[in-house]
Amino acid sequence: MTSASSSFAFDDKRPISMSFRHSQSGGPSSPHTPQHHLRSNNSSFASSSSASTSFRGEEDAIIFEFGSRWLRAGFEGESSPMCVVGCGPEESRRVGDYRGWLRNSHGTEPPSVKAEEWTGAYELWKMNVRDMELGLIEDKIERMFRETYNKYLLTDAGTSRLVLVLPSIMPHPLLSSLLSTLFSRWRFPSITLLTTAPMAVIAAGMRSALVVDIGWSETVVTGVYEYREISLKRSTRAMKLLLQDTGRLLTRLSNNSAASQPGDEIAVNFDLCEEVASRFLWCQPTVSPKGSLGPSQQQVAEPQESDVDTANQGLASVSDEIVSLPSPSAPGTAYIDIPYSKLTEPVEGVLFAKGVPDCELDDEEKPLPLLVYNTLLSLPPDVRGTCMSRIIFIGGGSNIPGIRQRILNEVAFLVQQHGWSPVRGKVIEQQRQRLQTLRLSQAPPPADLTPEVSPDSPKSPTETSTSETQDEEEIDPIEQKIRRNNKDKDTVPPVQGVFREVESLGSWAGASLLTSLKTRGLVEIEREKYLQHGLAGASRDLETHGHAPDRRSGLRTGGDRSSWTLAGWG
Amino acid sequence: MSRPFPYTYISCPCANTPVPDPSKKRRSRESPQKSNPDQPKPLVPIDDEDEAFDPRSPRANFSLYPPEQLLYCEDCHQIKCPRCITEEIVCWYCPNCLFETPSSMVRSEGNRCARNCFNCPSCTAPLSVSTLENVVVGGTSQQGPWVLSCGYCMWSTLDIGIKFDKPTNIRTQLSKLTEATPVRSRQMSRTFGELKSPLSTYSSIDEHFPPPGETNTKPEDSPEQPTIPLNSDARFNALKNFYKTQISATSSSPTDPLGMDFGAGFSSPGALNRIMSLYTSSSRLSSLYGGANKKPKTRPPVMREALTASEGLKIPAPDAEEALIQRIAGPDCGWDGLASLEQRSFQSPDARFVEDLLPLPVLLRTKRSKRCKSCKHILVKPELKPQSTRFRIRLIALSYIPLPTLRPLNPGPHAAAVLPTPAGSTAPTTSTSTTLTNLDALSPLRPIQLLLTLKNHMFDPVRVTLATPSVTPGRVASKVTILCPQFDIGANSDVWDEALQGAAAATPAPGTATATATATTTPSTDPRGSRSGGLGVYEKVAEAGKVWDKGRNWTTVVLEVVPGTLPGGVRPSKTKKYPVHDNEPDTTTTNTNKNNNNNKKKAHNASDSDNDDDEDDNDSDSSADLPALDWTGQADDPGQKLQPDEDVLEIPVFVHMEWDSENQIDNEQAVGRSSGDTVKRELAYWMVLGVGRIVQ
Repeated sequence: MTSASSSFAFDDKRPISMSFRHSQSGGPSSPHTPQHHLRSNNSSFASSSSASTSFRGEEDAIIFEFGSRWLRAGFEGESSPMCVVGCGPEESRRVGDYRGWLRNSHGTEPPSVKAEEWTGAYELWKMNVRDMELGLIEDKIERMFRETYNKYLLTDAGTSRLVLVLPSIMPHPLLSSLLSTLFSRWRFPSITLLTTAPMAVIAAGMRSALVVDIGWSETVVTGVYEYREISLKRSTRAMKLLLQDTGRLLTRLSNNSAASQPGDEIAVNFDLCEEVASRFLWCQPTVSPKGSLGPSQQQVAEPQESDVDTANQGLASVSDEIVSLPSPSAPGTAYIDIPYSKLTEPVEGVLFAKGVPDCELDDEEKPLPLLVYNTLLSLPPDVRGTCMSRIIFIGGGSNIPGIRQRILNEVAFLVQQHGWSPVRGKVIEQQRQRLQTLRLSQAPPPADLTPEVSPDSPKSPTETSTSETQDEEEIDPIEQKIRRNNKDKDTVPPVQGVFREVESLGSWAGASLLTSLKTRGLVEIEREKYLQHGLAGASRDLETHGHAPDRRSGLRTGGDRSSWTLAGWG
Repeated sequence: MSRPFPYTYISCPCANTPVPDPSKKRRSRESPQKSNPDQPKPLVPIDDEDEAFDPRSPRANFSLYPPEQLLYCEDCHQIKCPRCITEEIVCWYCPNCLFETPSSMVRSEGNRCARNCFNCPSCTAPLSVSTLENVVVGGTSQQGPWVLSCGYCMWSTLDIGIKFDKPTNIRTQLSKLTEATPVRSRQMSRTFGELKSPLSTYSSIDEHFPPPGETNTKPEDSPEQPTIPLNSDARFNALKNFYKTQISATSSSPTDPLGMDFGAGFSSPGALNRIMSLYTSSSRLSSLYGGANKKPKTRPPVMREALTASEGLKIPAPDAEEALIQRIAGPDCGWDGLASLEQRSFQSPDARFVEDLLPLPVLLRTKRSKRCKSCKHILVKPELKPQSTRFRIRLIALSYIPLPTLRPLNPGPHAAAVLPTPAGSTAPTTSTSTTLTNLDALSPLRPIQLLLTLKNHMFDPVRVTLATPSVTPGRVASKVTILCPQFDIGANSDVWDEALQGAAAATPAPGTATATATATTTPSTDPRGSRSGGLGVYEKVAEAGKVWDKGRNWTTVVLEVVPGTLPGGVRPSKTKKYPVHDNEPDTTTTNTNKNNNNNKKKAHNASDSDNDDDEDDNDSDSSADLPALDWTGQADDPGQKLQPDEDVLEIPVFVHMEWDSENQIDNEQAVGRSSGDTVKRELAYWMVLGVGRIVQ
């Protein structure tokens, strides 16, 4: 009740309430005084802490987006980050160790290492903190920040507000050491935390969407509704495994004769492998029905090259192409020719779990289409209808050509096969048959149990799946009334119920957009308060902020400034 | 490591103070300054410290610095590494043209040079502006369109179809060219004039205000419409404008200025009565709003989502990915047609092909002044001008801490000739070491002697105590002995003084110096030290407890190192060298025994590493070759494999120095006596000596 927002019924729909510097005379608004100085949220002008924030000059906030491997940094209001900094072994060398520049040292055969170590050297952190040295991560973060400021941002560190875009689930030790490092090393006045998925939604111009983040260590599918994370599912099938698989593929290619190579060892240069992956890995965008059964039905265990011929005729010629890559054993001097179709195998095997029967998959290693489907399934029907026509792909894996179409196609196929029902199995099928025959006498049901989702029909599958008895063209009187009421404002009915991809500019751009609109985040950590108690000082009492305890969008709707919260991270 | 051997690194003491986690209680670790090596216990600090510094730990990479990169704060009396300073930017300049950029312009120019400085997008070499045609008409040369070209990889802007009308202001020309072209197609060759046509701009009025009848079909139609898709910059701006209009439309709707949410309410004139009643009701906003206006008549309008492309919506075409795949697989693309990760790192996010790469304006650089993080004193202050390389203030650490240099001790030819007589068995060692002290290929288990010189740059004499773990940490355990761990370094007095003194008393001066040195060190050594001192007739034999050499402001001591064996198996070379090894461990043990029994005991107690066992086996019995062979056979499993750089022999050395400051006048007499008015200072840090690489 502390904020004005709680007194209004509709304010929940407006988590973004903001003032902004420039007077915007959008079409139908009345003339009003330009708002220049109201930078902070008006709800808190009575509290003391916001006074200090408004005295700060017009320094632009600096936005950092943390991933497992890359750090993106730049200023608010810019469309893309100023720089993307990694933290590989080259970056964690001693000062004055210029070995990375000695290119001739690459002639030596890279030793074969375990796949986990092979990729592990390039990660900033793992979400499993158990065997991680936090001090090392602090060192890395400190160096990355310092070099980013000195080389790319070219501004004094610590003078302006800092906005961090973080994954929505962070281990507290990691979060604590991150914040402690930043606060104790530099004099940042405050640090705002924002979550990745809603930022991507903002950068797509949407309010609700399904964000598929094919990241490094895991793929996270988040259902975002009205800027709030509603449900979230994750899978380990992501870029790390993909890169390891590509490494194995290249290792096999480099020593065809030496079959004695142990299965898990990778003996190629990581950088080369990443180059190959970023340049040449691809994925069949459309699969014929037989092929698309892959993740759900059992196939031959080993991926066969002949599977590729199931591709449609458009890309049939592509599969026969031969591309030449630098030879993994002697990069820079020799090239090897491999069929282009071979380069789709890691993607098929890792991200789509081709050839692995469904029953063998653990909960955390669902293939991506199934993950998307499950996330959609866990959403409430209305939200599902909205989200499924706003699917946003972010993360490194989304750059693989063909993968977006492929996921959309397979999810559509899953919907076609099973409908929006989590219940599977033969017995269920029989029961359904029986029910169907029962119902046949009453009314003609839809042809199949699975609601047919065709892209041109405007009906939402949510209606058809939940209320089977209703007609497709059922008219919702309430919705009509709403539509009649605000006829003048938006006459466009929202697109829903259709699978549609919306492109986002990425989480970083979303955070930049949001910050430049002077919206305050829900999690804004003031320096003094953090230094007093650390993370323990965060108030766990979410009710004081006038919210239901669900996953938060990270946007502040107002409220008490004297205490701070970690919101979803708490 | 990449530095040529031998090298030295210094670990900043700030590594021992962990980042304070406010939520936990401070784990105050003992800082290295607190060790008290005044007592005549040579290697006490190691036992007192938490643990010896491990140069191989991954964290060590972040705290080790070359000595010349460290600073020193005169107020904190502490070494300052880049982690314990704060930096302030003095000026911004382009490293290419050395023009200074005013601070107000830096941000607007995107931290990059606004002139003609560009880097090649494919090889990062600087690009030069050159003309395409040079026709001399009459007296004046008529110069054609200009391009940017790379002198290294022969890339030019012609490859991406860009020509410039003028040779100046390339950056603005380029930005106009790229902003106006939504998606760059490679075949199109554009000149500046072409792009000025209004058709090439994307936005038109009616896109912003679509007719109401059309809006229904808009979202579905937009992908099919031949509207030119925006690039990411334009999309971002479109989105920003969209959000701004939405916010202003929703926060201050004309029908009900009071019913809106608190966002930006005070701007409208109607808010006056609300402000008037602000202090009559409670200060809480909720009650204010609830009291002032009875009930919002209409609901506050809800922000909608972006619906058209001009609002920033982008729905990718369904066949876009397919086209991409076909282009990648196509014959004219190939590996070299695709941009590498490094090339893409500063390009627009959708640049995937080499044709998409744009020339990059040169990143600006900064001159920064540096302050101590704890006391805010300025440590470095450069001259303001970019062209000047001078500094107004620069407190580098090397003027305060002794500069360590390391070199192998190669006995001179006469010394090698003399040496065989005292102990005939040592002859092969020394003779081979003269030929074989190749630091890039140290043979395991063969002792080498190194000279560590510490050169003092202060005007006060310094008393130095060195300490090292007897066995280097890690799997490749090498034994290290500092033969004289405690010594003095003379002050960095005037060279003329020394010259004059040296002329006055040529022989006594070094004599007294060594006398004081031995006087200070003899209590710490065994009586055997004096016996071995008698051996010093043959000059330049490394002795325990004695400095090797000493000059005006430098002192050299000898380190004896037995490189450890690598865990990869040492079969072929080891058996050959057996006669050598049988003797050498004896000498080392005597040396270490002489120095401190503590150390040796520790080394043997801590025989957890296989190398120690291995070496002990060699000592006792030559038949111990067999277990060694077995052991190497096991080394095939990956855990035993040699990690990168594990074969580099690095010795952590703890340096503790002590001096009396503010007595620069009579430094010769002040050695050992601390007068009342002087301040005793001490400084302690870890230093890492990179000796060489061990080979099998």
